[in-house]
Amino acid sequence: MTGALLHAAGSDVWVESLGDGKQVVYLHGIADLHGIETEPMAFHRALAETCSVIAPAHPGCARTEEDETLESMDDVVFHYLRVFDALELDTFTLAGSSLGGWIAAEIAVRHPERIDRLALIGPTCLHVPGHPIGDVFWFAQPDDGVRFDGLRNLLFAGPRSEAGLEMIPDAKDKIEREMGKYRVFRFASLIGFKPPYLYNPRLRERLDRYGGPALILWGENDSMVPRQHADAYFDGLRQARLEVIYGCGHSLIVEAPTGIADIVGEFING
Amino acid sequence: MHPVKLFCWHFMAYPYLPEDFDEKYDTGWVTVPNSLWNREKAKGLYQEYIDQLVYADELGFDGMVLNEHHQNIYGLMPSPNMIAAALSQRTKNGKIVVLGNILPMHLNPLRIAEEYAMLDCMSGGRLIAGFAVGGGPEAFNYDVPSPRARRQFWEAIDLIVKTWTDDGPFVHEGPEYPLRYVNAWPRPEQTPHPPVWVPGARSRETMENAAQRGYAYFLSSRSHGDQTRQAAEAYAATMAKYDRSYTPFDFGILLSVYVSETDEQAKIESRESIWYFLRNCLKGHLRTKGRTLTWGPGVPSTSPESWRGFLENWQFGADQLGDTRDWEDLDRRASIIVGSPETVREKLIALVELAQTGNLLIQFHFGNMSDELARKSMRLFAERVAPALRAESKDVFARDFPEMERMEPAQ
Repeated sequence: MTGALLHAAGSDVWVESLGDGKQVVYLHGIADLHGIETEPMAFHRALAETCSVIAPAHPGCARTEEDETLESMDDVVFHYLRVFDALELDTFTLAGSSLGGWIAAEIAVRHPERIDRLALIGPTCLHVPGHPIGDVFWFAQPDDGVRFDGLRNLLFAGPRSEAGLEMIPDAKDKIEREMGKYRVFRFASLIGFKPPYLYNPRLRERLDRYGGPALILWGENDSMVPRQHADAYFDGLRQARLEVIYGCGHSLIVEAPTGIADIVGEFING
Repeated sequence: MHPVKLFCWHFMAYPYLPEDFDEKYDTGWVTVPNSLWNREKAKGLYQEYIDQLVYADELGFDGMVLNEHHQNIYGLMPSPNMIAAALSQRTKNGKIVVLGNILPMHLNPLRIAEEYAMLDCMSGGRLIAGFAVGGGPEAFNYDVPSPRARRQFWEAIDLIVKTWTDDGPFVHEGPEYPLRYVNAWPRPEQTPHPPVWVPGARSRETMENAAQRGYAYFLSSRSHGDQTRQAAEAYAATMAKYDRSYTPFDFGILLSVYVSETDEQAKIESRESIWYFLRNCLKGHLRTKGRTLTWGPGVPSTSPESWRGFLENWQFGADQLGDTRDWEDLDRRASIIVGSPETVREKLIALVELAQTGNLLIQFHFGNMSDELARKSMRLFAERVAPALRAESKDVFARDFPEMERMEPAQ
């Protein structure tokens, strides 16, 4: 276990730290460390070969205390500003996957001076009219009480993908993984249920506030966040590079862990 | 000593679904297409249902129960207060129990305080004010973040009750519903305020909050057994923590009944409508087949600790009430009690004893049941079950709650 509790402004935050090198704060998604997974996965370990990975768990996830008053993205951004201060991070690289990518983008447009590079891996969060983000809350409930085809279809490249079946098996998983799923959905629900789902209608017009280098990674078959969102990010950020990963869905870090770690690591150290 | 109170609960199901509904649709909730609504057939439907509740009042039931549901075929009362308003003008004696308004779905709790106060005045002080937090389908229907619903719920209840009891205008500081001028007109007729009932599904949080405030707890489970008794005991213990003595009138349960002349006759008459209710109305709610939205990680309203407790006991894919296969299976769940007046009386007195409850909230109309059969069952119940049940329940309460003799009459 490489994690530790960090005391940041009145609450305990669980932070996993791996590897040496340039510091990158990684904000997690659902099919991810501190989400369904309790331990660092192949992606985090591979990234840690070239960087110092600092991965805090969102409020209520893993062993981070739940914040009962939390209700908006602003609250989450202030929470993370305090975490960064407690970690004594001044200027650093920020990366995030899925809803972690959303939070990373929200932090970057507010405090561009602290973020030297921004890596967004299948982030949710934009409102692209006519192309809504998939209903991950709806499909978190199984078909016929046991099958998670709908959830896997959103989070992976198809309902029966190998990576998806391993991450989200049919029927009841180990209690700790089920609890991880519940906790990350609870957090996601607080910030992303309303408006439906997982976006901030104002973020798109603010993307140009971040002028540093940005890497956008997108799964070719992402059925959770439509491809139009990748284009919107690319157009909105001033120095963006978009890479589409063929054969993958929404959970790139699970579906192509070492490939994604290589691209992100290279970008961070670039 | 008070006898058990017998309420008639109407859900107002949509009764005109096509026969192949179960094969074609994965749920009766939220996304069940409203193109299935048949305008011609549905003419007069509300009238028929309201008339059945008026009949319950005439038959001497202690009250009529209504509740709030949205975008589904299970219950056609997005606004139970409208039906309650109609009942206030057409019934004379029974309580009007709205169980309840789903508080987190409404923009401002002040509106609920106002409408309930109106209903209490319009009914001559017969309102029982129920408040519900809402479940999974409700979260999806009105886009309410589940983890926030509970904190909104208790703040809203406290604000509503204060609106009724404290002189206005006063300031309510929130955090969920900050208001500068709270000063509702009218005020309810009952003093200090209409009785408050809160439904719960055994969660510790709801019991704590209800007991602390002295409200009646209504178990929303549709199946009964040892867990029903455990819930009553848990509520009694929770009340004791706050120096309150439990009586059977602090606890209520929901069950369904069909009575006919004989056991066999009862089954023949109710079979179609009971299975319409189980297969169609419960699909998406209390049925494993299809897509149940009532609970799950996507609608995470309970605390992680409560969820852990649920997970440890829950078998994924296990049959629920809506998956009931046959009469024997139905009997085992003690949810829908079907039979002759003797059979029903015997099972209900056993249930009163088991659940230690003085409030039986009974559903008589199922799914697509005809008006004629619903009324027949209600009449047989009122004439041939209720009198004995009331008499026998007095004995049960005198034995199990002797201290109740000395207490104020229950509301």
